[in-house]
Amino acid sequence: MNNAPADSRLKKPAKRRRLTVERREALQGYVFVSPWLIGFICITLGPMLFSLYASFTNYNITSRMDFIGFDNFVRMFTADSLFWKSLGNTLYYVVFMVPLTTVGAVLLAVMLNQGIPGMRLFRTIFYLPAVLSGVGVYILWMQLLSPSTGLINTLLDFFGITGPAWLFDPDWTKPSLILMKLWSVGGGMLLYLASLQGVPKQMYEAAEIDGAGLFRRFRTITLPMITPIIFFDIVTSTIGGFQVFQEAYVMSESGEGGPMNSMVFFNLHMWNKAFKVFDMGYATGMAWVLFMIVMVLTVINLVLAKKWVYYEGSDR
Amino acid sequence: MKAKKRLLLLLSVMLTMSLLLAACAGGNSGNGGNASNAPASTDGNKEATDPPAEPAEKIELDFWTFWGSETRRPIIEKMIADFNNSQDRIVVKHTFLPWGDVWTKNLAAIAAGNPPDVIINDINTVAQRASSKQVVNLAEFLAKDSIQSRFFPELWNTVEFEGEAYALPFNTDTRFLYYNKDAFAEVGLNPESPPKTWEELEAYAVKLDKKNGSRYERVGFYPNNWGNWGWDSWMYNADNGTGFVDKEGNVTINTPNKVEALNWINKWTARLGESTVNAFKAEFGSQQADPFISGKVAMINQTATFYTQLRDYGQDVNFGIAPIPEFKEGSGHYSSGGGFVIEIPYGAKNPEASWEFMKFMTDVQAQEYWAIKNFDNVANIEASEKAATNAELDEKGKMVYSEAVKNLKDTKIFPIPEFAPDFRSLLNPQADAALLGQKTPSEALEQAQKEVEALVKANKK
Repeated sequence: MNNAPADSRLKKPAKRRRLTVERREALQGYVFVSPWLIGFICITLGPMLFSLYASFTNYNITSRMDFIGFDNFVRMFTADSLFWKSLGNTLYYVVFMVPLTTVGAVLLAVMLNQGIPGMRLFRTIFYLPAVLSGVGVYILWMQLLSPSTGLINTLLDFFGITGPAWLFDPDWTKPSLILMKLWSVGGGMLLYLASLQGVPKQMYEAAEIDGAGLFRRFRTITLPMITPIIFFDIVTSTIGGFQVFQEAYVMSESGEGGPMNSMVFFNLHMWNKAFKVFDMGYATGMAWVLFMIVMVLTVINLVLAKKWVYYEGSDR
Repeated sequence: MKAKKRLLLLLSVMLTMSLLLAACAGGNSGNGGNASNAPASTDGNKEATDPPAEPAEKIELDFWTFWGSETRRPIIEKMIADFNNSQDRIVVKHTFLPWGDVWTKNLAAIAAGNPPDVIINDINTVAQRASSKQVVNLAEFLAKDSIQSRFFPELWNTVEFEGEAYALPFNTDTRFLYYNKDAFAEVGLNPESPPKTWEELEAYAVKLDKKNGSRYERVGFYPNNWGNWGWDSWMYNADNGTGFVDKEGNVTINTPNKVEALNWINKWTARLGESTVNAFKAEFGSQQADPFISGKVAMINQTATFYTQLRDYGQDVNFGIAPIPEFKEGSGHYSSGGGFVIEIPYGAKNPEASWEFMKFMTDVQAQEYWAIKNFDNVANIEASEKAATNAELDEKGKMVYSEAVKNLKDTKIFPIPEFAPDFRSLLNPQADAALLGQKTPSEALEQAQKEVEALVKANKK
């Protein structure tokens, strides 16, 4: 390493005339990635670092930005009951939503992979909800979940079950949102379907000759072969789950987080702190706490992945 | 060939670098603007004290409102046009921003040092904006033009922070009891004597309930969030018009009367059954589907503006109005209100011109116009009185409007103190718990009292 500068100094006259091929290619490479680099530095990294600094201040957007050390974090962990409530709500949502949607998507994909007639039609039908998104879907679901006139409770009534008040009952608000999420597993399903179709047929044939039953074939061939996709799905939906916000904002009365704060998720609480009471320093602090939580979980996921994710062609 | 290529490369590198610089500079000035905004805007504020420069050209003002609907937009724009025609120095331009965006955008614009010149904002949060320098102090303008006496005192109270005004009240609202006279006659109640106390309200309501088997076809009255009135308003009404947190930081959530109010609401829910309440509420809509207009509910607490719905969609509803029933005889028919103020965002370029416009918008002519066109309560006392007898209103309209103006004396507004901006996020879940029967009202309010006191203590220096 030490020799490099000396070398280049020696070759200086030669270099003046012409860049070496490698350097030129490197430079061209930077030029080509520069749009992304600029975007990343100015739109992502810059604001992120700014927010990191802001989290140690009492920044309120307009009148003050004094360094206050760890005050925001101390307040968060010791004095803000809503912080814990919102974290609890978010964890509840993630813990149930991630496994349920993953299992749901895999099952759906396996069923659609049976080569039944009309498979294309079903595939489209199941994928459709993943295309629709946002406020329209939430409003549709608010109607479906309406306690007395909603389609879901009407259907339950038909079977003699008195449905819960869903979005009006603090014990049922989060299950309602998870149910709604399950409706749109089509996106994940499509990924699984693609990977299922990539599982080599000869494996099944060999297993069948060896006398493996349907379930055994699924457990020892299908499942291992699609673990990379399962892993990807779990990681992304965990991250997405922690960021749950819109659902609660739209589906609770005036965006306040539903009965007894049962839908106050981490991001909703953060948003209220930032834009309702202008406690921006505190809100940026919350954002970094969430970032750390998600990062730790993702690292754990990555470490654990070595134990159960199977990559074809690797030695395990 | 090679030289050309090299030139091309050089050019593209330069272009990229300049892009990078430009983009970063833009980003930085955005960020830097946030941090260094305060001094820049103080300069803007100083201009106000200096005599305005000779108007060589017209001063253009940007006025932000969320009034973009078919009914409201022409009204506000007519008022602006009247102002523009009334003098030749200032031209006001109206910018409509949707309700959900307008104040967040305003905040971002203030932070960037480029706010609108005048904006319509929430009446309850003036102190928050004043304490965090989002709005211009009007003390010096008021010293020259003392106009505070044109406003209702209760409204003026909301715009003051530490003894100085930061906004001018623009409009407000008030609530009273609408009751269906035909339904009263049908069950043998005197249509000219509406209920005066909580006790009477309940007794009348029971009589007005109409059942078909076990199913309710009409509910006489239900207190919580049917119409435009909820548990919080009943708590104010019961407690001599006292709110939850006052300007000094006294927390009055867990009071015997407020506990009693929640107990009382729970009694209604128990009698009607939660499923009835939910089933009715689920069918509520607006216009013809409004529960009072469709006759599903015989009495309802609503704003004065609700009259326009009755006028347009419920011509055949024979209704009467009365003050909100009082807790006990003689305790007071307290009603609750809200509204909007007109103010100058911090850092606006021409506060003096903005002030001229605000003065016009809160003066009799503009306010009376707003009042009769929107059937809305306005902040200007004289305009309110004139509107109540304005020939443009029909007889019923005049009656409702003059009642609304009268009702303002019992109408309380509860501005949110700057040291407890989000106390509702602590109180509301406790009230929910009490109303859902998961806690007793006194347990719930005791807990809320404790939490809000802690919040006030933590924030109030």
